[in-house]
Amino acid sequence: MTTTLTPAVSECIDAVTSTFSSVFGQIDVWRGSIHDLADSEHGILSVDAVDELVEHLVLADLSTPSSLVIGAGFVATPGYLRDSHWHLAWWLGKANTFGVGSDTPSVRRLEAEEDGDSENFRDYTALEWWRVPAVSGVPHITGPYVDYLCTDEYTLTLTAPVEHDGSMIGVVGADLYVDDIERTLLPRVRAIGRATILNASRRVVVSTDPHRPTGSIMRPTEGETVLPCGDTSLVLVLD
Amino acid sequence: MLRLCHVSLRQDEMPQSIRSTSAARAAVFAPLAGGGRAELVTQRLTDAIELGLLTHGEKLPSEAEMARQFGVATVTAREALEALREKGLVETKRGRDGGSFVLSEGARAAGITRRVTRLSRVELRDMGVYYSAIAAMAAELAADRATPDDVSHLHATIDAVDVSVETSARRGEGTFRLEVAALSQSARLVREELRLQSEFAPMLWLCLREPEQRERSRQAHRDVVSAIEAFDGDLARRLTTAHIASAIEWLLDAKAELENRGDTA
Repeated sequence: MTTTLTPAVSECIDAVTSTFSSVFGQIDVWRGSIHDLADSEHGILSVDAVDELVEHLVLADLSTPSSLVIGAGFVATPGYLRDSHWHLAWWLGKANTFGVGSDTPSVRRLEAEEDGDSENFRDYTALEWWRVPAVSGVPHITGPYVDYLCTDEYTLTLTAPVEHDGSMIGVVGADLYVDDIERTLLPRVRAIGRATILNASRRVVVSTDPHRPTGSIMRPTEGETVLPCGDTSLVLVLD
Repeated sequence: MLRLCHVSLRQDEMPQSIRSTSAARAAVFAPLAGGGRAELVTQRLTDAIELGLLTHGEKLPSEAEMARQFGVATVTAREALEALREKGLVETKRGRDGGSFVLSEGARAAGITRRVTRLSRVELRDMGVYYSAIAAMAAELAADRATPDDVSHLHATIDAVDVSVETSARRGEGTFRLEVAALSQSARLVREELRLQSEFAPMLWLCLREPEQRERSRQAHRDVVSAIEAFDGDLARRLTTAHIASAIEWLLDAKAELENRGDTA
């Protein structure tokens, strides 16, 4: 069955695709730089070298007021870095209000527990944003989910694997607030009428249907039209 | 994108009832610095200790270092440490090897027992009711919003707990409820779950001292996951409420026993 797309539908698909593709594009640039650094250091990297590069890479994006990115960085494959088994080189943006109380947030480093012996250390390789791209080898969108480990907020995390010499040395990624995405995309969805944007697990990202809250799972319905948004893994559903 | 300011109370927008009452007005505009900040720092550290992120014997950073890390004044960090001492979570030693150290679960347990004897039955029951409202609603929403992947993650969370060890069961209780809360997709419910855990969890789950109760708790978690898996929000909610109610009943029994012992002593 072919569906003729109305201009509103096409424009919405384009908006979703370009919003996420531009972040994935940025992530890919970071991925390339980390790969190049690994190359120039013959595949052996230190925490300091990684931190210096990643901070330099993500700082610009995190400082730009119009940027949707509220957190970004590189998370190393356990055992890859020569001087720390676990490592997160992750920075939080100006728009990220996590842990600052009533202060105006500034760009800052995420302090993460990296001591694997600490009793409640969290093995990040079990988390979706790590697990899925590690298995699939391709970029992945995690969420919407409540990121209680990092931002305490309703978040989307975009991650891509970084490979060197045929093995994964870590993931590179960015966090977005779901409410920023809603603000950005809702006008386009509204132009269609009743429509819903879902992630690959059919979790609602944005919907104009009041019966479809963000974060709920939309069970497949008869007669629905599912339109992929580029290669973002997101789909636009008309029902 | 810059986030919109959440609260913008301007005088000319204040409701008449508030504007006319000077005491209420003063409270609204009480300075946030100092008290408010210290509470935030206290809360964060309490969460970390209750959740086991900071463990027994661990030395906290010095006042000055803590102030730098949290981005608060030294006096605020001092205030927070004072509050943690009062809660019986840390002790401060003077001298060369001095500093503030996280107390053992044993030392904290004695503090919890004292708290249970001090609180009235009404207060303890009310604690259970309020916690149920949050946890049970989270479970109900989770049943509607969890993917099969989320469900296997919940199973893994339960399997990771060693019920033969009390601390493992205690931590597992917290982790399981936090994971369920996260599946509700509500950031507010998650934050409230975390807050209530740090306030009540050691008391509420006092029953986990008994191996038999730890087994029961594990079974209760499995039943909730089955309900979530079956998209049965109603059942997930009722099971969660019942589990919390049984923990409160155990606690009230324990309290009565403590009081009887106290009377005869």
